[in-house]
Amino acid sequence: MKVSLSWLEDYVPIETDIYDLASALTMAGLEVESVDDTFNYLEKVVVGRIVEINPHPNADKLKLCRVDAGDRFLQIVCGAPNIKENLLVPLAMHGTLLTDGTLIEVCEVRGQRSEGMLCSEKELELGDDGSGVLVLSDDLRIGSRITGALGLSDYTLEIGLTPNRSDCLSVIGIAREIAAIQKTKIKYPIANEIDNNKTNNFISVIIEAVNHCPRYAAGLVKDITVSQSPFWLRKRLISVGQRPINNIVDISNFVMLECGQPLHTFDYDQVAEKRIIVRTATKGESFVTLDRKDRIMDEEMLLICDGKKPVAIAGVMGGLNSGIDSSTKQVLIESAYFNPLSIRKTSKRLGLSTESSYRFERGVDPDGTVRALIRASNLIAEIGKGKIYEGIVDEYPLKQNTDTIELSISKTNKLLGLELDKATIKTLLESIEFKVQNSGSDTIEIVPPSFRVDIARPVDLMEEAARLYGYNNIPTTLPLMQAEAVRPLKVLVLRENIRDIMTGLSFTEAINYSFINESACDLLKLSSDDPKRQLVKVLNPLTEEQNVMRTSLVPGLIETMRRNLSYQSKNLKIYEIGKIFLNKGKDSLAEEIEMIAGLLTGDRHSSAWYSKETNCDFYDIKGFVEALLAALNISNVTFTKLTFELCDYTRYGHTAKIVAGNETIGLVGEMDPEVLANFGLKQAAYIFELNCNILLKLSNLLKMSRQLPKFPSVTRDITIIINKDIEVMSIIDNINSIGEKLIENAHLFDIFEGAPIPPAKKSVSIRITYRSSEKTLEDDDVNNTHKSITDRLINKYGASLPA
Amino acid sequence: MEKTIEQICDEAFKEIKTAESSESLNAISVKYLGRKGIITQFLRSISTLPSEERPKAGEKANETKKILEKAIKDAINGFESKVPEVADSIDVSLPGRSVSPGSLHPVTQIMRQICDIFTRMGFNIAEGPEIESDYYNFEALNIPKYHPARDMQDTFYVSDNIVLRTHTSPIQVRVMENRKPPVKIIAPGKVYRSDSDITHTPMFHQVEGLMVGENISFGDLKGILTNFIHLLFDDKTSLRFRPSFFPFTEPSAEVDILCVMCRGKGCRICSYTGWLEVLGSGMVHPAVFENVGYDTSQFTGFAFGMGVERITMLKYGIDDIRKFFENDFRFLRQF
Ligand SMILES: [Zn+2]
Repeated sequence: MKVSLSWLEDYVPIETDIYDLASALTMAGLEVESVDDTFNYLEKVVVGRIVEINPHPNADKLKLCRVDAGDRFLQIVCGAPNIKENLLVPLAMHGTLLTDGTLIEVCEVRGQRSEGMLCSEKELELGDDGSGVLVLSDDLRIGSRITGALGLSDYTLEIGLTPNRSDCLSVIGIAREIAAIQKTKIKYPIANEIDNNKTNNFISVIIEAVNHCPRYAAGLVKDITVSQSPFWLRKRLISVGQRPINNIVDISNFVMLECGQPLHTFDYDQVAEKRIIVRTATKGESFVTLDRKDRIMDEEMLLICDGKKPVAIAGVMGGLNSGIDSSTKQVLIESAYFNPLSIRKTSKRLGLSTESSYRFERGVDPDGTVRALIRASNLIAEIGKGKIYEGIVDEYPLKQNTDTIELSISKTNKLLGLELDKATIKTLLESIEFKVQNSGSDTIEIVPPSFRVDIARPVDLMEEAARLYGYNNIPTTLPLMQAEAVRPLKVLVLRENIRDIMTGLSFTEAINYSFINESACDLLKLSSDDPKRQLVKVLNPLTEEQNVMRTSLVPGLIETMRRNLSYQSKNLKIYEIGKIFLNKGKDSLAEEIEMIAGLLTGDRHSSAWYSKETNCDFYDIKGFVEALLAALNISNVTFTKLTFELCDYTRYGHTAKIVAGNETIGLVGEMDPEVLANFGLKQAAYIFELNCNILLKLSNLLKMSRQLPKFPSVTRDITIIINKDIEVMSIIDNINSIGEKLIENAHLFDIFEGAPIPPAKKSVSIRITYRSSEKTLEDDDVNNTHKSITDRLINKYGASLPA
Repeated sequence: MEKTIEQICDEAFKEIKTAESSESLNAISVKYLGRKGIITQFLRSISTLPSEERPKAGEKANETKKILEKAIKDAINGFESKVPEVADSIDVSLPGRSVSPGSLHPVTQIMRQICDIFTRMGFNIAEGPEIESDYYNFEALNIPKYHPARDMQDTFYVSDNIVLRTHTSPIQVRVMENRKPPVKIIAPGKVYRSDSDITHTPMFHQVEGLMVGENISFGDLKGILTNFIHLLFDDKTSLRFRPSFFPFTEPSAEVDILCVMCRGKGCRICSYTGWLEVLGSGMVHPAVFENVGYDTSQFTGFAFGMGVERITMLKYGIDDIRKFFENDFRFLRQF
């Protein structure tokens, strides 16, 4: 909402500095977003002196003027009849943008260079006279800015209104707030009353949909002339950024801006049968609005019709068929109160929001309907040089009541943390035109003014009292709270724990958008029945790149990798912890699963003085996963090769499923090079994906101390040669499963392939640690056990001993 | 007595100065300070002096002993710190074997700070779904369908009745439905709004708070938020509370803090106002309490909410919110 200082001053005297006023409004809840010089558009208009006038060689009516602009001389082509040498005139320099949209530039006029423009009062929007250039007084300084020279000063305030304050969608509304802040009174505009009692036969108004249109008033002004608005009216509209059109349209806009009541004007001679019917549309009914668009209506939308046809979409926009044009002689003025919800629905469904619908949907003053009608009628009669047709129509079938609200002083104070007395609260509320009466010892009865449609409950009044008293005058206190502590959510503890572990493992945390493009499923080569294809689609995505909710964190990590590689960061250890979303049907909420995923790419060791550059591989990322699981105290985890059918985006044979007991935690593996290529990447990458819900189930935060061993251990090594395709960890598992009490640990310390080991074989070396809890072990204690383990392995795996 | 303590001292110093190894210094130490050393004997001889001279002489002798001890020790150190063989040393200027620390996303770091402050105040952390029903996201919070307040948040829709939550306030409703007052929670999490420019991203993080009890006032809201801002920034960061409008609170307040960049003088960050809007807040609207079955005659409460990215930008001097989700390593590793 824009208002200008000078316009406000029509209703309330303002003595404070403009910036103090702006800050006072802000602190009263009307946030002033900007304060601008209204005459900014005259910034490049200066006082010029016509030094010399010569005829234009190619045009009789034009002259070539040499004009002194203070710091230089310019040549201006000018056709004004009143120019004379030595005259001081307004000179619009290159770059001036006039309010009618004309941009002044250096140009050629009939083959002669013109470096600006000499302007009339009307061209500068400083008055009505457009007959010649504006003649300035001789004593002005040449080259000075016209605004300073003429003492032009006004400010335009841009106010960001909250949706509840529809009463302030008008200059008077804001003036009212200023009056309350300044503790002064507002002066309402005076309009000549129209004799309401006269019978009127100029129109009959039939409201068929009273719930949509509780009140409809109309007036008629005859014998008007449509023309340009007078200067004062144009100035008002321009000061708030509106472009003047003609006197009738301008008055209608002016009254709306002044008092907040949207009006609609019809060419009375075009109104068939002199009837106005307010009815809902039929489904599919079409109507062409003023902006030449065909609108398809439904049965919840309200139409204003004449005897034959619709002429306007109520409260939103008029039709192309009944507007005011230059030939209009008689103006029918509509001032109505429409149901806010009805207008809101229509506006939303048509995707059509206007100054009018914006006000109606927030709620206009139901008691202001006739006042605005009379104000507009008077102005149209005066400015359009017409005559008001005696009498108005005011159909008001559904009276809008303002209820009395009882307010408890003690409850008000308790809620706000104040100790105001009744008189203070009364004064505060009365300053914004609330009617206040004493009722009980602790209560007052309040009738809010009809324009405050947002006030319905006692708490609304408490807010009014608080804001006028000043939020910053309310003492700052601390609440008394019960000291009860509640157990933190387990998932929270786990999540932060994981983050700390990942930081310790030298990973960098990324956060990607939760939305991705649905093509990611294909890029990841997901099978057609993959649950990750149960996408939640966003109906109105910002871009198609973000049209579904992610069902995996992997696309985000790959995108992060791609972006960083393009910035030449090629060694990455990243992870993300966040939710994925699985569609569970149209009317159900999605299944949200928290996941942690990591990605490793680039070097294990960069080349340095102590090492050669080596690439990371599967066992690097697996090591990180093992460390993470160990830090979470999750034990008995096994990594098994993921079957071909289940490998979508990771490389078959290089991917492991991670399982603990019956629970699948997730997977770890190398990204399928083909999938990486789909994302435009060549560099190998390794990922893991773990389900946090499962981690939460398995993570054992209970920690128990164990006795430390009293006796030394003995270690023995076994080296066996086995078939290459045997998974080594199964041998370790086998050793551990023997249940021999003396075995403390079996550790794989070497694998070797190639000569002298036969082809398709490998040698595997395992170190077994033996320890007794009762005594120091002697060789004899261990030898037998070790021998039987060796034999067992030879049998089980068809192994042989090295030569 | 043959020599004065001063003479002994002078002689000892001469010998220390001319000593050529730590072995000879050790010998000097034994000669003067050993059990049968000159100083030791001198100290013993003090007992033979007249009683009025004893304290002074003793003091002086002890002082001399200390000086010599130090001089000998320093001289020994002098010999022992002599540079060893070159072959035995390493180039300590070489960089150590690289161990790069990991890092938390800046939003996570500030989110943790915010949550820490409130949990220290006794708030509990609650969470909820990111894809939410229209009821919890809007209706229960006093934002009916077709209410103009819906324009305040550009909403992503999944279906007519399911949205990507536009704030974490639905969590407040879910908690209140399951728990009687007193309630003191904060609700952190991701939220979604259809908006994208230098200060808006379609996804961002919020922390909202709720406190409900029998005597919770607007003054208490001011107190908690002032305390919070002072801990998050510093005690000199003043606050101002401005009337505003949120459908689920009444009275409602925007909270501005004194610009952390210019301290109120006016700069680009605060649009030359000296203030930064960082929090929305207010007393819980009775309609919200009615929706969760709380007795409005018994309980009052306040709620507040803030955007974590915005606060992170202020804390770390970040100028473009979109950087948070580009995950550029060169950016992430700065925090
Ligand atoms: Zn600043």
